[in-house]
Amino acid sequence: MRVPLSWLHEHVDPGLTPEALAEVLTFGGFEVEGIHRPTAGTRGVTVAQVVSVEPIAGSDKLHLVHAFDGEQTWEIVCGASNFASGDKVAAALPGATLPGGHRIERKRLFGHVSNGMLASARELGIADDHKGIWVLDADAPVGADLSEWLGLDDAVLELAITPDRGYGLSILGLARDVAALTGAALHVPQPPPGPASTDSGVPVIIEDPSRCARFAALRVEHVVVGASPAWLQRRLAAAGMRPISNVVDATNHAMLETGHPAHAYDLPALGGPRIEVRAPRAGETLRTLDDLDRPLDPGDLIIADADGPIGLAGVMGGERTEVGPATSTVLLEVASFDAATVLRTARRHRLFTEASTRFEKTVPPETVPAAAARCAALIASLSGGQVVAASDHYPKPKPRESITLRPERAASLLGLDLDAGQQAALLTAIECEVADADGALSVTPPPYRPDLRIEADLCEEVARLHGYDKIPERVPSAGVSGSRSPEHAARLAVRRALAGGGWSEVLAFPFIADEDLAALGLASDDPRRQTVALVNPLSKEEAVLRTTLIPGLLRILRHNANRQTADAAVFEVGRAFLPPTEDEPGADGGPGGATLPAEPTLLAFAACGDFRPARHDEPARAVDLYDVIGAVDLARRTVGLDPLEVRTADAPPYHPGRAAMLRIHGRDLGVVGELHPRVLEALELPPRAVAGEIRLDLLVEGGIVPAHGTAPSPLPGLRFDVAVVVDQHVPAADVAAAVQAAAGPRLTSCRLFDVYTGPSIGEGRKSLAYSLRLDDPQRQLTDDDEREAIERIEAAVTAQLSGALRR
Amino acid sequence: MSAATMGAAEDVRDRALAAIDAARTLDQLDEAKAAALGKKGELTRIQRELGALDPAQRRELGAAVNTAREAVLAADAARRALLQAEHDRVTLAAEALDVTLPARTPKHGSLHPVHETMELMVDALVGLGFTVMTGPEVESDWFNFQALNIPADHPARAMTDTIYVRGLDGGASGDLLLRTHTSPVQARAMLRQPPPLYIAVPGRVYRQDTPDATHLPAFHQIEGLAVDANLSMADLRGTLAEFTRALLGPDTKIRLRPSYFPFTEPSCEVDAWHEGRWMELLGAGMVHPNVLNHVGYDPEQVQGFAFGIGVERMAMLRHGIADLRLFIENDLRFLSAF
Repeated sequence: MRVPLSWLHEHVDPGLTPEALAEVLTFGGFEVEGIHRPTAGTRGVTVAQVVSVEPIAGSDKLHLVHAFDGEQTWEIVCGASNFASGDKVAAALPGATLPGGHRIERKRLFGHVSNGMLASARELGIADDHKGIWVLDADAPVGADLSEWLGLDDAVLELAITPDRGYGLSILGLARDVAALTGAALHVPQPPPGPASTDSGVPVIIEDPSRCARFAALRVEHVVVGASPAWLQRRLAAAGMRPISNVVDATNHAMLETGHPAHAYDLPALGGPRIEVRAPRAGETLRTLDDLDRPLDPGDLIIADADGPIGLAGVMGGERTEVGPATSTVLLEVASFDAATVLRTARRHRLFTEASTRFEKTVPPETVPAAAARCAALIASLSGGQVVAASDHYPKPKPRESITLRPERAASLLGLDLDAGQQAALLTAIECEVADADGALSVTPPPYRPDLRIEADLCEEVARLHGYDKIPERVPSAGVSGSRSPEHAARLAVRRALAGGGWSEVLAFPFIADEDLAALGLASDDPRRQTVALVNPLSKEEAVLRTTLIPGLLRILRHNANRQTADAAVFEVGRAFLPPTEDEPGADGGPGGATLPAEPTLLAFAACGDFRPARHDEPARAVDLYDVIGAVDLARRTVGLDPLEVRTADAPPYHPGRAAMLRIHGRDLGVVGELHPRVLEALELPPRAVAGEIRLDLLVEGGIVPAHGTAPSPLPGLRFDVAVVVDQHVPAADVAAAVQAAAGPRLTSCRLFDVYTGPSIGEGRKSLAYSLRLDDPQRQLTDDDEREAIERIEAAVTAQLSGALRR
Repeated sequence: MSAATMGAAEDVRDRALAAIDAARTLDQLDEAKAAALGKKGELTRIQRELGALDPAQRRELGAAVNTAREAVLAADAARRALLQAEHDRVTLAAEALDVTLPARTPKHGSLHPVHETMELMVDALVGLGFTVMTGPEVESDWFNFQALNIPADHPARAMTDTIYVRGLDGGASGDLLLRTHTSPVQARAMLRQPPPLYIAVPGRVYRQDTPDATHLPAFHQIEGLAVDANLSMADLRGTLAEFTRALLGPDTKIRLRPSYFPFTEPSCEVDAWHEGRWMELLGAGMVHPNVLNHVGYDPEQVQGFAFGIGVERMAMLRHGIADLRLFIENDLRFLSAF
């Protein structure tokens, strides 16, 4: 809502600067988005009267104009031709300035001296019209300073109006609040006396009073349609509306002033004539004022005459009954339509107008007749017409119910020490009727505040009018210490550990395309292909919700590689979205019984290039699968769980020989590995890139498990090495498990320090060398203990792995 | 016992002192010391011969030998300290490293600034007694709107552009959506447990917005909800003032402006005074009685407040970032700073 302050000041003038008034409105609940002075800066522009207009020889456009400014006649060259001698115009004589500080000088054009220029509405910042110069009203005072005459230094406040405060979309509504908030006197114009007749000659039939509570139809005759006077054009332009004609401008002025949208029909064009407020019938269409033929929906509410639809109720009128230059009799509509109906209709037709914006925030029926009378009177006065009849259709008047306000409840909710008297006084200031009722207050809000419905609404009003800034600060105590959930704390620890371990956290949108999953080589029956689709996605490439974080991470790798960041190691913690199953249900959908997808929290990795960059004293090391397993193990260790079980895996999108399934406590966490060369090729990723994804929720569900502390042995331990030779297909994990089990309960450390293949141990075999440490806090270990341990290990690898110890 | 023998100890001493003094290296010093005090040293030899003397002479000459030995030991220790220091000076200087070469730091990754800012905000709320809760990102219309006093056709639905999710198993579309705020978890929490309730809900939320400098289709919020016997707007204000001070510094001031949210009444916008101007920070209010009724709380028995704050905005402030798209571009040259 754009509020020209000169207009507001006609109804309330607290004597504040625009900035101070903006502050008052801000604390009144109206967000001030800007203070504009669109026409300020005009200086020395004079109202002049054209004496003569002659074409200039040699130019097909320019005219030489003589214009009289009350003292002398000036020669001015002008490119427009939309005026004639006798017209009043805005003359920017030499020395004048236009908005923006543009200074006017004397110029020579086609052999004539031009003493400045004649200004268009756009040059004056008043309207967009630049088709010709601005021709002023016939009664414009010649010689007057245009700025003073039209108040061009006026400031315009731009307010954001929340859905509850529909009255903020009217000058009078805002004036009421400014008066209440500042104590300044309020001036509300008295509605002019109405015509004697209530018969407009047009019957009005309201099909459903719940969708149209009230409809006033007024007949104005002997109208002469023409341009509006300068003050009205300027005022509408300042308020952000385009001046059209005196009749239409009058309806818009009335709407801006009272908050009641009004519509004028060319009465002779009305079929019947009669008005129906009804639902559209099958197949009906309407050509609206914006020249679009709109098929109507059964849920719409329309205005129709005997021949069919003539308007979308509360949204926009129809072209067939539009007021035009030849209109001489007008039927004026001021009505109260149901907010939800108008909102639905506007949405359906994607047609959001000044009228629909007001109706969707509720336009009260009570004030319809006064607004209609005010609008009709303005039409009559601007167009020379006469209001001859006013009919009012209000099938089911509903008296406003009173609301009980318990002052102690309000004080308790607000934390403000205000007694009943103070609260009553605040509410009376916005025209509530307040009466005592058994120690409580019985409050009847004024018609212009349909938003006040329950006690809490009145509490907000009390706080707002008293001042939110007077609410004290108090910190409540929950009585218990706050906390992260164990899962949340574990997740946080994992993320921080991974960052410390060389991985960079990224954040991808969860929107992907089904094609992204196909590109990973996932079979069509892969659970990750069962995506949840969006109804209105941002784009085709973001049509479904991710079932895996891998596509997002690979996109990020490629993005960075394309920007010359060839070495990247990234991870993401986020949700995936899968159709729910019995094992993996979604959250409760609520009373509607909606089925929600399962949303497991995943941890995914992707990396390419060097994991460790080259240094002056060390060569680079390329990232590989063990970096990803190590990252998962770091996460595992952070939450204090037992070591991972690692098994070879063959699953897309990975290299069949270079992927591992990671398990913990017998449950699958997920697969990590080097990406399949075909996947890398398809996604234009660097060779040997790796990735992985695990179920983080399974890892963190128990929170961080406190480690069990063991006192180290005070006695020296035994340290020795063993080298186990096995077939090269035996997994190292099996060898390590056999060695550890055989070493016995005294084993405190077992570290693989060498893997060797070569002729000395035989074709197809490998040697794994382990460094072991045994400790016993009870006694000093001896060479016998070492010998026995090695014998046990030898027996185990021989029996279990067909291996041997390398002596 | 001759004077000559007596004098021999002093002679040995004098020669040894001269040799010690003349030693230029630790090796020469060792030699000089050994010449007097070593197994075959002169003083050692004299001492060995003491056994053959009568007791009186032995006592006298023994004392002379001891005096001479102490003098040699003292001279050796002094000279040794000097030569050792000189030796260290030369050899350690030769081992000097260029300490300005790159240090061997562990490879460092980084944490996403939005997540880290969110954790910082969670920390502040946990400190104020709030417990962290989360909820699903795909929500039902009931939780996202209806439970929060936003029925169908409520004008507030036009305040946000919702991304809708196709119904599962051919179910009706329009019932599922990507949550537009973290507020649905209010209802989930209240349905799950009775008051008093103090919860903080960090999470991702969605709007049908094309990414630009100030809009993202997916961003983060933290919701706070407190419901207890007698909570008031003063408690809301005090909590938010503390919260803001924890985030933006101890001198930060806040102001409350009336505003509108369907699920709170009274409602307010909260601004913080930051770097010389009022900056819109969050929306808040007292929980609307309809919301309490929807989840089976009795508005006559409990009162509560709720607030929701954007995380990206706070991250922009903390890190001096002007364009939201940097957060989702995931350029490692940007992320590595955090």
